[in-house]
Amino acid sequence: MIEEVFNVNLPVNETLTLRRNRFSPEDISTSTKRISIVTGTHGDEIEGQYVCYLLAKWLNANKHCIKGIVDIYPAMNPMGIDSITRGFPFYDVDLNRNFPGNTSDFLPSQVANAIVDTVRGSDFAIDIHASNIFLRELPQVRISRSTADELIPLAEKLDIEFIWVHDAVTVLESTFAHAMNSIGTKTLVVEMGVGMRITKEYGQSLTKGILNLLAHVGIIERAVLPTTKTTVSNLHSEVFFVNASKSGIFIPILEHNVTVLKGEKLGEIIDPLSGRILETLISPCNGLLFTIREYPVVYEGSLLARILEDPKEDTAL
Amino acid sequence: MKEEVLFEISSLSRNPLKVKGFRFGREGTTPSCVIVGPMMGTAIDQLWIASQLVRFLRQHELANAAFVKGEILVIPTVNPYSFNMGKNFWPLDNTDIDVMFPGYDKGETTQRIAARLFEKTNNYDYAILLEARKDHVECIPYVEVLESGMNYIEDARAFGLDFIHVKEETPNDTVSLTYNWNVWNAKAFSLISGKKGILHKHEANKVFDAIVRFLVKKELIDFSTFEGSHGNLVMPNDIEAIKSSAAGLFDTLANIGDSVVHGQPLARIFNSLDGTLIQTIISPCDGIISCRYDYSLIFQNAIAYRIVKVESAQNTL
Repeated sequence: MIEEVFNVNLPVNETLTLRRNRFSPEDISTSTKRISIVTGTHGDEIEGQYVCYLLAKWLNANKHCIKGIVDIYPAMNPMGIDSITRGFPFYDVDLNRNFPGNTSDFLPSQVANAIVDTVRGSDFAIDIHASNIFLRELPQVRISRSTADELIPLAEKLDIEFIWVHDAVTVLESTFAHAMNSIGTKTLVVEMGVGMRITKEYGQSLTKGILNLLAHVGIIERAVLPTTKTTVSNLHSEVFFVNASKSGIFIPILEHNVTVLKGEKLGEIIDPLSGRILETLISPCNGLLFTIREYPVVYEGSLLARILEDPKEDTAL
Repeated sequence: MKEEVLFEISSLSRNPLKVKGFRFGREGTTPSCVIVGPMMGTAIDQLWIASQLVRFLRQHELANAAFVKGEILVIPTVNPYSFNMGKNFWPLDNTDIDVMFPGYDKGETTQRIAARLFEKTNNYDYAILLEARKDHVECIPYVEVLESGMNYIEDARAFGLDFIHVKEETPNDTVSLTYNWNVWNAKAFSLISGKKGILHKHEANKVFDAIVRFLVKKELIDFSTFEGSHGNLVMPNDIEAIKSSAAGLFDTLANIGDSVVHGQPLARIFNSLDGTLIQTIISPCDGIISCRYDYSLIFQNAIAYRIVKVESAQNTL
C-alpha cells in the first residue's frame, strides 16, 4: 500500500511528498517484525531506486510469503532525485548531515525529523547509498566500530562483498543511520556503485541479500541461503586510501574489484596541456581494490582509490 | 604590513588557488589575533569587512609603526575559486570547507585546505571567523560563541554588538573552524551578519566597527572608538522561530533589527497563481527580529522570522 508520510507545500502549485510502499501480512501483532528500506537521501545516488523496484516487484509477486512489515522509501529527497542534486535543493545542504532533525528548524531538518518519525519503531533499517558521482564502490556495508558487535551478524546476512568497520566519527552522528541506531532500530548503511548510474548486477545482488536477511529475521517465509562472500575489515586488515598529490586528469589502469599487489600501478594523473604524466599512483599494499575514481578531473587531495588490505597473519601467541 | 601567500592548491585548468594573509605588527608577539574571512563564495559582506580591515590596518600602520601592539593576521578569504564562480562551496564537489576541521593534510582537497588553514591560524590568543548564515536568511550582526566557549563569554562583549548568541553544540560543530580553535585554546568567535550574495554596507560596517572596537579593547591597536552595546546574552531558548503555515509569494512587512510586539503583522503570503492572501504571519511575542527569510518565494513550514524574545533581556553572566 502506497502511503504519504510527509507533505509540505512548495511556493508555486506543488507539494513535496515523501512516500512509502508498505507490505504487510493480514494479521499484525506487537511481535510482528518491521524493516524499512530507505534510499534517495542524496539526489545524485540512483542505485537504490533499482533495488526498491526489484524488492517491491518480488513482494508483489510473493504476498503469501510476507510475515512481517516491509516499508520501502525510495525517495527521501524527491526534488534532489528529480534534478540530479545531491543536497536538498534550494537550501544546498546535505540531508544526511541533518538527522535526527527538528520541527523548529529549516525545511531539510523538518524532512529529516519526519523521516526519523516515520521509520521509528522499525526493528531494522537499510539505508542504501551509491557513493557519489566521483567514486565507484564495490557493494559494502559500513558500520561504526561502536555498533559493530550488534550489526555485523545482521550485515553478514546480506551476503555482500565486504563489511567495512570504521572508527566512530562525531560528525557522522548527524546521519540517518546513527539517528536510527540511537533509538533502537538496527540500521545498516550500504554503499555500492556510482552516482547518477544504476549497476544492474549490484542491484540484483543486493536485492537477493535483502531477501535473505528478511528470511533470517522472519519477515518473509523463504529458505535461508548460506552466506559465502563477505569479508569483514577488522583489526587484521586495514583500509588504505590513495589520494592525488597533483591536480590533473586521472586515468585508471586497473579495473574495479580486483586484487592488487603492493607496488602495482593503479593509474596515472596526466596533464592534457603539456602531454606529461604528473603522477603515477602505486598500490600501498596487497589487497582488494574496492573503490576507484570514476570522475577524471582531480585536485590535489582527491580520493582515487581505496584498498582493503589482505588480512595479516595473527602473530599473537 | 606583510602580504604573504599562506598556502596554494593547484588546479587542472585554472590558476592555482592562493590563500593570502596580511600580517600586521610583529610576528610571534602577544596579544595576537587572527581574523579569517569567508569560506563560502557568496559571503560578500564578509569579504568586504575583511578587505576593509586590511585597508584600515595598513593605512594606520603606515602612519604609525607602533599602531599594532601585538600581532594581527587577516585572511580575507579561504575560497577565491568559489567567489569567482558565485558558488557557496568548493567548486568541484560542493563540499563545505567549514565542516573539515581540523583538517587532514593527506585527505581530500577540502580537508587539506582546512589542515593548512588551521596550521596557520591555531596559535593566536583571539580568533575571529567572519560568516554569513548558511540558510536562506538575512540577519542582524551578532557574535556567536559555542557553549564550550562560555568561560570567555565576557570577552565577546568587547565587540560591542547588541547580541551574543550562545550556540548549543551539535555533532556538525565539532568539525567547524571555531570549535577547533576553541579546542586549541584560542578564544574563538564567529561574527555573523547579512545575507549571502549581496553587499549590505550598513550591516557590514557595523561588523567592521565591532572588530576595530575589539582590537582596541584587547590592546591590539593604538586607536580610539566609541563604546558599543553591553551585549545581550542570547541562549538557545531565547529565540522564537516563526514558521509559515502556507507557501507562496512572501511579502515582508518587518525588517531585521525591528522591535516588534505580540500580535504585530510581520509578513503576508499570497497564492502565487491567483493572488489570494493566504496567511498573515503574526508575531507571537515581543522582541527584536534577528533573522528574516531572504527569498520572495516561501515554502510551507519555512522559518520566516527569528525573534530574540524580550524576556531574554534578563540573562546575566
